[in-house]
Amino acid sequence: MTDGQRSPTSDGQIVVSGLTKQYKNVRAVNNLSFTVAPGRVTGFLGPNGAGKTTTLRMLLNLVTPTAGTATISGHRYADLADPLRHVGAILEASSAHKGRTGINHLRVICAAAGLPKQRADEALALVGLTPAAKRKFKGYSLGMKQRLGIAAAMLGDPRVLILDEPANGLDPEGIRWMRGFLKNLAHEGRTVLVSSHLLSEMQLLADDVVIIAAGQLIRQGPVDQVLGSMAQGARVRVRTPQTEALTAALKAQSATVDTDEQGVMLVGGVDAPTIGRAALAAGVELHELTTERPDLERVFLELTAGKAGIR
Amino acid sequence: MNLVRAELLKIRTTNTWWIFALISLPLWALTLLINWLQADALTSNAVTDLSSEQAAQFEAAASPDALSSNLFTTGQFFGLLIVMLLGIIVVTSEFFHQTVTTTFLTTPHRTAVMSAKLAAASVLALLFWLVTTAFNLIAGAAVLNAVGVGSQLGNDAAWRAIGLNLLAYLLWAVFGVGIGVLIRSQIGATVTGILLYLGGSIGAIVVISILAARWGDWINNLQLLVPSLASSLMVTGADIPGNPPRWAGAVVLIGYAVITGLVGTLLMRRRDIS
Ligand SMILES: Nc1ncnc2c1ncn2[C@@H]1O[C@H](COP(=O)(O)OP(=O)(O)OP(=O)(O)O)[C@@H](O)[C@H]1O
Ligand SMILES: [Mg+2]
Repeated sequence: MTDGQRSPTSDGQIVVSGLTKQYKNVRAVNNLSFTVAPGRVTGFLGPNGAGKTTTLRMLLNLVTPTAGTATISGHRYADLADPLRHVGAILEASSAHKGRTGINHLRVICAAAGLPKQRADEALALVGLTPAAKRKFKGYSLGMKQRLGIAAAMLGDPRVLILDEPANGLDPEGIRWMRGFLKNLAHEGRTVLVSSHLLSEMQLLADDVVIIAAGQLIRQGPVDQVLGSMAQGARVRVRTPQTEALTAALKAQSATVDTDEQGVMLVGGVDAPTIGRAALAAGVELHELTTERPDLERVFLELTAGKAGIR
Repeated sequence: MNLVRAELLKIRTTNTWWIFALISLPLWALTLLINWLQADALTSNAVTDLSSEQAAQFEAAASPDALSSNLFTTGQFFGLLIVMLLGIIVVTSEFFHQTVTTTFLTTPHRTAVMSAKLAAASVLALLFWLVTTAFNLIAGAAVLNAVGVGSQLGNDAAWRAIGLNLLAYLLWAVFGVGIGVLIRSQIGATVTGILLYLGGSIGAIVVISILAARWGDWINNLQLLVPSLASSLMVTGADIPGNPPRWAGAVVLIGYAVITGLVGTLLMRRRDIS
């Protein structure tokens, strides 16, 4: 890579191309292609069994693809000169020896990667686990285990982070901490790819999303764009004691109106000011008028509806 | 080198090593007692009424060469078992505790990881041999003096046996790593290893002697193919008449170690970690 042709963005970029994994009875990942940009948090979403973990494991050379390639900064993981200094990863079904202390777990990794021993102490401090450094792993709570995983991923100060369900087992405080932590890493220009089911959390965290179902790509792009691409767009929540009068007035404006059992109206096709004006003109009293942006959860459920989840 | 250090650190930072040391000590003492009684019996000339072939075997076993070789390799029977189990654990604990993901993320070159594991298991075997041999030289010389054949510390045959004992420890450690890769389940691999070592040799002796009675004496040479019998043949001090030559035992054992080590490494290179 001395030809000077390499674009600066290829550093830290993840490129998945035509990736396929056929297990005995199931095609876990099917001709999947997407890219992940540095400097942003990318959410990797999909129902249970969609193939997220399998994809991430192929990206990290733990599972051999049936077809296709996955590269990080233009290299396969196995070809990276110094993998831990380039990529940090937290995967599910990965753990530490029950009888080993947290600090020793990190020291073993440092020894194998040729990192200085004090990186272990620094990484523990980074995730706030220093008080439990000398306790054995089997005595750790779920959240502490998760933090130890993050510490291990940060040992080499990597520019790319790959996390599979990192929020599992974290308490609200922990989740908020993780959100700030990952956003900050992306802000520093690092690549952050994080899989999750927690869609409301993802909406707060992610800049981009990659949505897959049944091993195939459903949608990829910036969160706003994916949300905006939905046919339904924004809807407005309206409460009024005079439901029928307002419905008639709105229908005249060619709006769509859905009313639920509690009498809350969900109005589409017109914006909140239009509804307010129509209500004023019709002499209807309003108790609530809220614009509801389509949230990731609804979009996700709509996009993945009908796609077999567990196969 | 970093990788071997890391593998050794993995063992040092868990209970495994001192638990194994604790188990080994009484077993070693037990074998010492047995060897002592045996040496005592062999040198007291109490046995009579032997056929000429039996007499020749007896004489060979009672020679200072054989006695000292046996005593200076005390603890071998259980020691090899322990070293093999250590080799197994070096691999299977990675699957049992789900640390293999981290290991292969840290070092994607799996051949290097497996080589480091083989090297680390060998280092453990070497340490195990060093300590046992130090004990044996002291205790063995005392027993030999007691039964009246002198300490035998200058006996070439005895030192050859000690050297071959080291070879056996190394080979069984490698063998254990191979078993660990082939059978990832910690319990499964441990049970298989123990069966192969204990049950395997007893069973094989029975089967082979039955076959030999039916088909002729040459079948006795087949016991060479049983790893534990091959290794005990390899370290027997004197070539006892009627047994296959000891170098053949060494060849068989090296063959097993190389095959399991290689097959284990190749398997690990291809395996999906999920
Ligand atoms: N080692 C394996 N052998 C056989 N099938 C597998 C294996 N690993 C995964 N699968 C199958 O591949 C599919 C995708 O699994 P994967 O773990 O990648 O899904 P996921 O998106 O991570 O799901 P979750 O959200 O539940 O973690 C599933 O149908 C699963 O049963
Ligand atoms: Mg998963």
